[in-house]
Amino acid sequence: MSAGVTTQPAERRLSLLVTVLAFALPVIFVLVPLAIFLVYSFFSVDQGTIVYAPTLGNYVRFFTDPIFLPVFWNTIVLCVSVAVICILLAYPAAYFLTTLRGRWRYALLMLLLVPLLMSYVIKIYAIRSILGLNGFLNKALVAIGILQQPSTLFVFNMNAILLTLSLLLIPFAILPIFLSLERIPQTLLRASDDLGASGLQTFLRITLPLSLPGVASAASFVFVLAIGDFLTPQMVGGISGFTFGRILYSQFGTAYNWPFGAALSVALAIVVICAILIGERFGRSRGTSV
Amino acid sequence: MGLKKAFLKLATIGLGIGLMTSAALAANLRVLAWDGYADPDWVKDFTAATGIGVDVVFIGSDDEIWAKIKGSEGQDFDVFAVNTAQLQRYIKADLVSPIDITKLSNQKEVLPRFRDLSQVSGDTKDGKVYGIPFCFDSIGLIYDTDKVKPAPTSMSVLWDPAYKGKVLAYDNGEHNFSFTALTLGYKDPFNLDAEQMAAVKAKLVELKRNVLSFYTTADEAQQIYQNNDVALIWANYGQQQVKALQKIGAHVAYVNPSEGALAWLDNWVISKGVRDNAAAEQWIDFMLTKKVSGELSERTGFGNTVVESSSAGSNDKLVWLNNVEDPLKRSDMWNEIKATP
Repeated sequence: MSAGVTTQPAERRLSLLVTVLAFALPVIFVLVPLAIFLVYSFFSVDQGTIVYAPTLGNYVRFFTDPIFLPVFWNTIVLCVSVAVICILLAYPAAYFLTTLRGRWRYALLMLLLVPLLMSYVIKIYAIRSILGLNGFLNKALVAIGILQQPSTLFVFNMNAILLTLSLLLIPFAILPIFLSLERIPQTLLRASDDLGASGLQTFLRITLPLSLPGVASAASFVFVLAIGDFLTPQMVGGISGFTFGRILYSQFGTAYNWPFGAALSVALAIVVICAILIGERFGRSRGTSV
Repeated sequence: MGLKKAFLKLATIGLGIGLMTSAALAANLRVLAWDGYADPDWVKDFTAATGIGVDVVFIGSDDEIWAKIKGSEGQDFDVFAVNTAQLQRYIKADLVSPIDITKLSNQKEVLPRFRDLSQVSGDTKDGKVYGIPFCFDSIGLIYDTDKVKPAPTSMSVLWDPAYKGKVLAYDNGEHNFSFTALTLGYKDPFNLDAEQMAAVKAKLVELKRNVLSFYTTADEAQQIYQNNDVALIWANYGQQQVKALQKIGAHVAYVNPSEGALAWLDNWVISKGVRDNAAAEQWIDFMLTKKVSGELSERTGFGNTVVESSSAGSNDKLVWLNNVEDPLKRSDMWNEIKATP
C-alpha cells in the first residue's frame, strides 16, 4: 500500500519530466535560435561591433540595393530547376524500383541511397573533377566524337551548379516518390486492367495522380536543400554562378555583418517555409481525396 | 667521513629537486604560438642552453590568440606570436610590453629588410618596438612555365586577355582590393579613398571576367589546376601552394610582383603580464638564431628573418599586410563585384 503510494507520484513526475523534455528540446534547439536570429536581423553593425538598437535598415537594404533581389530571384529559379530535374530523373528510377520483386527492390534502393553516406564535400570535389576541362565527361564526349575539343560548358558556371546539385540531391527525391508509389494498392491497378485500360492509361489515371503527394514532398525537399546550399555554388559556380547562399555566407565570414546576414536568412527562411507548406498542402490534399 | 659525503650527496639531490620543481612551477616560460613555431626539439635545446623550462600552448586562429590574451589581460602568457596586422590592436588594448632590442643580440644579424623595425609597418608605436619579426610569407603569383611566356613580373598579367578563363583568383574582398590597388600604383593599399575604391572595383570587375574561378583553399586551387587549363594562380598560400603544385609534377614557378607583393609577417611579442622579461627575451633571441630560423623555413616552407628563403629574394618588394580602412565596405563591394553580370 505504502509502496504504491510512493511510486505513483514518482511515475507521474517521470512522465511529467519526459513531457517537459519533449517540448523543451525543440524549443531550446530550434525555436530559440530562430528567434535569436530574427531579433538579430533588426540590429546593425558599426566598425565591426554589433549595435543593439532596433532598426529596419537591413530589410530596407535588402529590398533597395540593386544586387540582392536579382541574385535572390536567380537563386530561386535555379533551385526550382534543380527540383524539376531531380523529379524527372528520380521518378522513373523510383517507378522501376516498385516493379521489382522482393529483396531486389530494397537492395537497389539501398544502393541508390549509398551516396548519402559519403562526405558531401568529397562528392563535390569528385563531381568537379568529372566536369572539368580535362575531366571524365569532356574526355568521354571527345572520345565518342560528340565534341571536337573539350568544352568549358560544364564547369564554373550556372550549368555546373545545376548539374552538381541535381546529382547530390537525387536520393532525396527518389525516396519519397518510391514510398508513395509503393503505397498504391495493387488492387487498383488490377481493377483498371480488368476494366480494359491500357498500361499507359492506368499509369496516367491511377499511378501518377496517386504518387503526386510523393512528388510534391520530393520537390519541396530538393528545393529547400538546394536553396540553403552555399558550398556547391562556391566550389563549382565560378564567376557567373553567384547565388544567394554565397552572399549570406559572406555576411557571417569575412564581412562580420551578422545582423544583415540574419535579415538575409529571414528572407531565405520565408521562401523555405513557403516551399515546405506548399509541398505539405499539395501532398496532403491529394492524399486524403483517395 | 662517509656520513658527511652521504649528507652532501643528499643535500645536492635535494637542491637539485628543489631547483627542478621551482623551474617547473615558477619560472617556466609560457609561450602561445601557431603549430610549427615552437617545435619540441627547439624547446629542448632552449631549455638545455638557458635552464629555462617552457610550456607551449598552440592556437589555431587569430581570434583564438586574441581571446586567450585579452581574456587573461595578458597574465596567462609571457610571450606569444602575432602578425603585424593584428599587433596594433594589442598595443592599443595595452596587452603587450615594449621590447628592448639591445637585449636581442641576434636581431642585429637579421636580413636587411628586418633590421630597422621602424620600417616594418605595424611593429612599432611611438618609437617603441613591440614586435620582433621571425616568420613571413608573400602572396605572389604562381604561373605555369609552359603556358606563360615570357615570365610575368607584375600582377597586371592577370588581366591579360591572352589568359582569359585560365586565371585562378582568391575569394577574398579585402586582399583583392589591396593587391589591385598596388597594381594600380596606389601608395597605401590598405587605406583607399572613395575614388580609389571605385577605380579598384571597376578593375576587379574586369579581373572577374578574365578569371576561371575564385578559390578558397590551397587544396581546391590545386584540384582545379589539375582538371582544367589554368595558367596563372594568385597565390594566397604562397610557398606552400607552389611546393604542393610542384610535388604533383606541375611546371609552375613563383614570382613576387614588381609593384610589391602583399605579405603576412608574424612577430614574437612579450605580453603585459610577463613574469620574467629576461627569459622572454632569451626565447625570442633563441628563435632568431640561424639554426632555428633556418629549420623553421625548412619545415614549414615559410620565410624567416635570418637566412634567405624562397619566399622572397633580397630585392623583392614586400608590403606587410595591415588592417584595412573598412573591412565591411570591402566585403560588400566584393559581393557587388561578384554579382555584376
